[in-house]
Amino acid sequence: MALDAYAEATDDALLVLYGNGDPMAAELLTRRLAPRVLGYGTRLLGGDRAEAEDVTQEAMLRLWKIAPEWRTGEAKVSTWLFRVVSNLCTDRLRKRRTVDIDAIEEPTDDAPAAVDGMIQADRAVALQSALNNLPERQRMAVTLRHIEGMANPEIAQIMDISTEAVESLTARGKKALAIALADQREELGYDTD
Amino acid sequence: MTRTDKPMLDDKALDAFFDAARRESPQTSDALVAAILDDAAAHRPQGSIMSDAPILRSDDARAARGIWGDLVAAIGGWPALAGMATATVAGLWIGIAAPTEVEALSGGLIAGTEISLAADLYALEDLTPGYLNIDILLEDEG
Repeated sequence: MALDAYAEATDDALLVLYGNGDPMAAELLTRRLAPRVLGYGTRLLGGDRAEAEDVTQEAMLRLWKIAPEWRTGEAKVSTWLFRVVSNLCTDRLRKRRTVDIDAIEEPTDDAPAAVDGMIQADRAVALQSALNNLPERQRMAVTLRHIEGMANPEIAQIMDISTEAVESLTARGKKALAIALADQREELGYDTD
Repeated sequence: MTRTDKPMLDDKALDAFFDAARRESPQTSDALVAAILDDAAAHRPQGSIMSDAPILRSDDARAARGIWGDLVAAIGGWPALAGMATATVAGLWIGIAAPTEVEALSGGLIAGTEISLAADLYALEDLTPGYLNIDILLEDEG
């Protein structure tokens, strides 16, 4: 059966199909979810693409394993997956802190070189640099809210906190980013649009 | 809050950074997708979920199915029960509809037109030879 036939299926339905032994469902779920998970993991892990790929593969593996027991309607697949990724990234960040703190690259080193008319890539790098300086939970909440575009109740489920706590984290995180990027603008001498 | 005195980007300027981050999101490599799909293939359940149900030992199975399960098992399982249900429905239909073939075979006993006719043609003694003298017994007692 062509993948197009499954295009309208929800993630939930695809996971049940995979749980029933359908290989096409796995391919479509991977195409839908893996890029989002990779982007989120990369941001949480300070831009470390290789480590984010490991996390993505591990999170998807856990999804395949839970498929036969998946209960439709209880939780969104993406919510469950982002929660797994958050936990995996938290574990890795904790290990980084305990293993060798000097080995971690200074995030401010990633500051953009361009001064006038920052192009898109430079902005993304500057934002990542500022995100790296946020406390982990703020980084998580801001990324989910403002980059992944999730609603606060879903973020609350992913982070296992109240909606009010999410609002507080995103507000403080966003404010810190606004200050950090404004500082950078002054240092580098460029203006925003 | 001393930080409010510091220069800040406004929401519009900050949104431009978020938008840039979304557009610059890392793309999954072919190698990563292949590795994920390899894992999916390795852990993909074979057949339906039903076939992956744990196999129960006979004692466990008996305990799990309960009294009704035991009754069904005693008559040969669900296929036998389905056969019984079919026979029951067929019997009910024959009784209600009284098709002509059945009427002919029964010699008019279950003729659908006049039930009293059957009663006239056949006395109870005709159908129950063991109780031939029932009228006599009743008369004696009366």
